[in-house]
Amino acid sequence: MESLGYLLNGFETALTWTNLLYCLIGVTFGMFIGVLPGLGPTAGTALLLPLTFALEPVSAIIMLAGIYYGSMYGGTITSVLINTPGEAASLITCLDGYPLAKQGRAGAALGIAGIGSFIGGIISIIGLVLIGPFLAKQALKFGPPEFFALVILGLSLLLGLMGKSLLKGMIGALFGLSLAFVGLDQSSGIVRFGFGQIELMKGIDFISIAMGMFGLSELFLSAEASLRGKAPEPPKVTGLLPKKEEWGPSMKAIGRGSVLGFIIGLIPGTNSVIPTILSYSMEKKLSKNPSRFGKGALEGVAGPETANNSYCGGALIPLFTLGIPSSPTVAVLLGAFIMHGLTPGPTLFQKNPDLVWGIIASMFIGNAILLIMNLPMANLWARITMVPFKLLFPIIIMVTIVGTYSLNNSMFDVGAMLVFGILGYLFKKAEIPLAPIILTFVLGSLLEKTLLQSLTIFQGSFLGFFTRPISGTILVIAILSLVFSIVSSVRNKRIITEDVEM
Amino acid sequence: MKKMVALTAVCVLALGTLIGCTAKSPVASKKGGEQTGTQASATQLDYPKKPITLIVSFAAGGGTDLGARLLTPILEKELGVPVVVENKPGGGGWIGYSELLGAKPDGYTLAYVNTPGLITGYVNPTAKRKENLDSFDFIINHVLDAGVIAVRADDKRFSNIKDLVEYAKKNELSASSNGVASGNHFASLQMNKQLGTKLRAVQFGGTAEALTSVLGSHVDVLIAKVGEVVEPMKEGQLKVLAVMMPDRVPQLPDVPTLKEAVGVSIENYSIRGIAGPKGMDPQIVAKLQDAFEKAMKNPEHVKKMSDMGLNINTTKGADFKQMLKKEEASVNELKSLMGW
Repeated sequence: MESLGYLLNGFETALTWTNLLYCLIGVTFGMFIGVLPGLGPTAGTALLLPLTFALEPVSAIIMLAGIYYGSMYGGTITSVLINTPGEAASLITCLDGYPLAKQGRAGAALGIAGIGSFIGGIISIIGLVLIGPFLAKQALKFGPPEFFALVILGLSLLLGLMGKSLLKGMIGALFGLSLAFVGLDQSSGIVRFGFGQIELMKGIDFISIAMGMFGLSELFLSAEASLRGKAPEPPKVTGLLPKKEEWGPSMKAIGRGSVLGFIIGLIPGTNSVIPTILSYSMEKKLSKNPSRFGKGALEGVAGPETANNSYCGGALIPLFTLGIPSSPTVAVLLGAFIMHGLTPGPTLFQKNPDLVWGIIASMFIGNAILLIMNLPMANLWARITMVPFKLLFPIIIMVTIVGTYSLNNSMFDVGAMLVFGILGYLFKKAEIPLAPIILTFVLGSLLEKTLLQSLTIFQGSFLGFFTRPISGTILVIAILSLVFSIVSSVRNKRIITEDVEM
Repeated sequence: MKKMVALTAVCVLALGTLIGCTAKSPVASKKGGEQTGTQASATQLDYPKKPITLIVSFAAGGGTDLGARLLTPILEKELGVPVVVENKPGGGGWIGYSELLGAKPDGYTLAYVNTPGLITGYVNPTAKRKENLDSFDFIINHVLDAGVIAVRADDKRFSNIKDLVEYAKKNELSASSNGVASGNHFASLQMNKQLGTKLRAVQFGGTAEALTSVLGSHVDVLIAKVGEVVEPMKEGQLKVLAVMMPDRVPQLPDVPTLKEAVGVSIENYSIRGIAGPKGMDPQIVAKLQDAFEKAMKNPEHVKKMSDMGLNINTTKGADFKQMLKKEEASVNELKSLMGW
């Protein structure tokens, strides 16, 4: 209960007018960064970092942390409204969020995402307070082999997102994996599929693919429809709150998402996409009626959105207690600590209790601010879907182009986005599901990297994976889930019979 | 708001290129004026009169970027014009370098150049690049980022670098690295070559990742830069065994150099300095060297950089190029080990 006393002290720090103001600035800025595709939380925090030198350390870090978790709220909005994830973490939200928006229920989707994000955020902060330091030590047991196993598990769960045809799903998945090959290979130093283009050396950017495949292709399809004279009518915004019967499953999804996100966040080196995939698959498997998923199941939004926020809180534990950044954004936060003369690590809690608890308290406040901002705003945002398409589309195209450009200040990324827009359009015509493409792309580079790292550690032996308790267990689960999927599909009782519309 | 920033950046850039194009003839005439006498040309040097773009070929928030963003406010005071940091990440730095080399050598486009990426970028035959050190005008160095060798604090096997070297001669050890042909990779290759150790490089995406694996006992040896190990060492997580510099570094006064400890000189550090495209006006270069040096030696700047583990080294012009030539030679020496 010692922590509780510290926490109350922390609130004293966080509730001063200046710190409240910086918290507000941070979360608001973070939310806008989340909405703007392209400019992610990493770049956002990095750009604001030099501006914080003049501030008190505690105010500076309150603000920067606000940007970090604030962006997770913002990323949802574009996913739901225009089927374009503002952040990788909100990718999965497109699956059910966008169909909900098409049914005029964008408000409900954004509302439940806001509530879930809040609960996930708060639960992970409580976890950070209570069991963080203890768990952080355990998380170090995750080395490259364990990551590899985790990625394999993620990929095996992808089978659940394959859509109507397993074959077409596999085409998509393999296409995504091959996209991950492009660029300079870290382990051999050889440029693959570079075609002499220096820009391709760094590989294709996630944002170019996501914006093109999801956002642009959607616009192309709608444009085609309106050329044929059957322009889709903007949906009427109805049902701004979840329906009565939806509350139960959604709240359960939020509970599971919170725990899942928190645990994955603890493991340094994961990314925020993994908990969202796991949460979505879990909700779909647990659902009484899995066929609703992909057509506007509210749990499909609630679970993953909760998981990515809860991930943020979890990810701060390795930073605070071990000084290890678990994601690029957290790495920038680590930089901020050091530049302000603070040392994240085992002794941070003892040496700077005011600071740490001030930041933790500010996260409670920041999440509350975000909830207050987001619930009424959900109504407002949802009305965007009522804007006629001919007005909305040019704006979306502008936002995507500027967003993609701002990634690396490079026109190449914009060109790549256009190419993927056309590809996405063709794939949609051919009914190849897009979710596996982008998910395998995200996981592919991690898969290859961790495999090669592990094999170097094991001196080339594949058996090494099974001799380690954690990686062995995860791999066995992955294999079982794969076998289960195959057996049931052979018996023609595929778990997933309905297309996941993306 | 970010969009606005991006847009303004685009506008500034566009303007910059426009003005850059029209400003060609004054530069030429200035060169003519230079021969008539230093007195006259000094008054003639009308530079800088518009914002200078400083390309950082790495992502925002990284070490080079932070160093640049700490330096530019002081530099702006010295030069009297804004200095805009522009991130052009990718290609081991060569996206930014290519952009620099495509710009006019008028002193309004400069870039950070980092080793070993600058050198491996053209030594690596698969990159098929025609440029080399002679394509640049080197202005002034900024930072020397020293390489270090560290192990887990509770690793009983090694209490000093001698133990580690002796052990690694008989047993294979895994060592962290940040990608093939990265500075950290060269470090383990150099050790294997000169000391006969058996280090196997495990390639990570960055030192943060590598540190996690070393602390979790998945990898034996951490090869990193000074700034990356100071804090974990203070926290009692790491033992830093040696620094790969000619002299000890101020952040780690008790850590011996590799040469002191095992008698073999292995130097491994990253050079980060400022360069422009070939063909800059020597007067402009001189003015820049002067302004940069003043800014880099600003005590507050030195302190902030030192806190991050970065030591200032303001080697200028031809000497700076000589430093890079030395690097080039050592990369060429290890080339065969890369399969190049």
